[in-house]
Amino acid sequence: MAFSTTVSQRKMIRRKAPRGFLKRVFKRQKPQLRLETSSDLLVHLNCLLFVHRLAEESRINACGSKCGVIKKEHVLAAAKVILKKSRG
Amino acid sequence: MADNFSPDSEPTTRTLLRRVLDTADPRTPRRARSTRSGSHSCWSLHSVQNDLLETPSSRRLRSQTKMTARHRSHTARSVDRLARVQASGHLEEQTPRTLLKNIILTAPESSIVMPEAVVKLVPSPQVVQPSRQESSRGSLELQLPELELPTTLAPGLLAPGRRKQRLRLSEFQQGMDWGHLSKEPRENADASSLTSSLNLTFAVPVQPQSVKRPGLARRPPTRRVVDVGTFLQDLRDSSFSVAPPGESHRTPVATVPTDTVLEDTQPFSQPLADHSPSVHHSLPCPSHSGAKEVEGAARRRTRSSGPGLQNNHSGPGKPAQLLARKVEEVDALAMGFPNTSSISGEDGVEPLQNGVGEEAEESMEESVSVREVEKAAEEQESAKAEEPEGHTEVTEAAGSLGAIEAKEPEGSSEDKDTSASPQLAPSTPEFLQARRLQFPEPAPPPSTAVLPSELPKRLSARIPPRPRIPGSRPRQDPYKAGLNHYAKLFSFYAKMPMEKKAVEMVEKCLDKYFQHLCEDLEVFAAHAGRKTVRPEDLELLLRRQGLVTDRVSLHVLVERHLPLEYRQLLIPCAFSGNSVFPTQ
Repeated sequence: MAFSTTVSQRKMIRRKAPRGFLKRVFKRQKPQLRLETSSDLLVHLNCLLFVHRLAEESRINACGSKCGVIKKEHVLAAAKVILKKSRG
Repeated sequence: MADNFSPDSEPTTRTLLRRVLDTADPRTPRRARSTRSGSHSCWSLHSVQNDLLETPSSRRLRSQTKMTARHRSHTARSVDRLARVQASGHLEEQTPRTLLKNIILTAPESSIVMPEAVVKLVPSPQVVQPSRQESSRGSLELQLPELELPTTLAPGLLAPGRRKQRLRLSEFQQGMDWGHLSKEPRENADASSLTSSLNLTFAVPVQPQSVKRPGLARRPPTRRVVDVGTFLQDLRDSSFSVAPPGESHRTPVATVPTDTVLEDTQPFSQPLADHSPSVHHSLPCPSHSGAKEVEGAARRRTRSSGPGLQNNHSGPGKPAQLLARKVEEVDALAMGFPNTSSISGEDGVEPLQNGVGEEAEESMEESVSVREVEKAAEEQESAKAEEPEGHTEVTEAAGSLGAIEAKEPEGSSEDKDTSASPQLAPSTPEFLQARRLQFPEPAPPPSTAVLPSELPKRLSARIPPRPRIPGSRPRQDPYKAGLNHYAKLFSFYAKMPMEKKAVEMVEKCLDKYFQHLCEDLEVFAAHAGRKTVRPEDLELLLRRQGLVTDRVSLHVLVERHLPLEYRQLLIPCAFSGNSVFPTQ
């Protein structure tokens, strides 16, 4: 993440993919399926992109309502849209 | 020639040799040879001033053997004189014996510098050597040691010249002390005692070297006086502490307060001073229960400690009594398991040692079950082991008791105690140590097995009981942790402050998202006739989501959002040797 690293981070953001967590979630949901190693990372990439889009949308909503803080309703509205989009 | 030498203030070998040479009769009937050697030595004279460090003997030897130019540089002027002197000596006595002696004597000299020189110079020095040696023997006593010693060196002795120099110096010094006596026996023994001389020469360097460099000499290691008592204590403490390392972590907290409480309540604190501390410590160690339990145990202990103290040696009857009491205590005292177990364990130790069977029995009985008692005893013992007390007996008793109990969890506690007690009763230091050794072995395995089961119990007594649903626990925490990870990323991406509820909302959304994700991947894999989700399925998903387009490829996204390590794993890259990683 070239551009992200230049951004000053107040908090520590983990760049590592929680591969174990992802694998466990997938197994819990679909025990009959198997997940490959590389696809694990791509799932993480997918999650990142989803969260990114969600955050962008939430920020837009919050800015739209002239709020300096992201509120629950902003996130909710954003989630509706983004989840629809990422349905595939 | 002697004038060239600068007189040394200290009686060095050089000065001594010089004196000898000066005093010696410079008769040189064999002028030719002497001149020959002398001529060679003359050249060496110049090097004398440079070779101040070398011993004269070494120089002489070298000059003798070094008939070549190389050696001449090192020969000392004394060599020249010596050669002349030697030439004046018994040159006529060129018997095979003398020649052989000379060869042997001279051979090492030549080997010092050049092994080849030995071969070449052996014949030549032979003539010179006998004369030199004999003359030296006769007149130059001081020279003898140097000459003979170096010459006695084995022909094969390619020892470094420095070593020989030192050797010669030491030899010379020794020769100084020996005087005349050394030369004759040496000469005679040259051939026969070559090895002995070799040994001598070998052995000699040790001293001179050490003398020369006192700093290198080994100093006897300074040893402190060992306190046997403390040493034994430490041994036992360490042995015990090693066995139950895990328990130490859990018990230390409980031990501190309980110790003080228990000890204070002890009416017979004095007599127990020796043994009680360990017992007391052992008692509180495992007790995780509150102070109440501890006090109750203390009360019991005081009761039993009194009579127990008087009996230093627990006979077989005592343990039986103790066991009986333990059983009673187990039933009577409905205290926390850890507490009872701790007490029982402690008591078990005490009676065995101090005959404090009452307490031990009571404590043992306190435990709900015999097994518990045993386990507790083991734990306690293991906990006790941590206590750095010098009461090996107590700990041993506990250890043995615990070990026995551990070994026979099903057996009756009484039987075990009785069996344990007689074993412990004749507790000799060796026996105790042996038991101690045994203790750690059985203690750790059973303790480890017991600990996990007992720990939650103790913790439950201490802390409000947690919901014990093994299935649900991992479900919640790790799942939440994973979602938390992405929630943090969300807040990072948003670059705006967020409410806590918003974060929770994000987690809910993520949960839903994961469900959708799994379903989609399943569909895609099934469409491809596979049961394994592969990266192609993921790419298809991204494409369907609109993230990957004709303009934006997957690799671009990978490069943008994933760290380098993952990038390498995902994007195939060509390496040297016509290899691609990851393999397609």
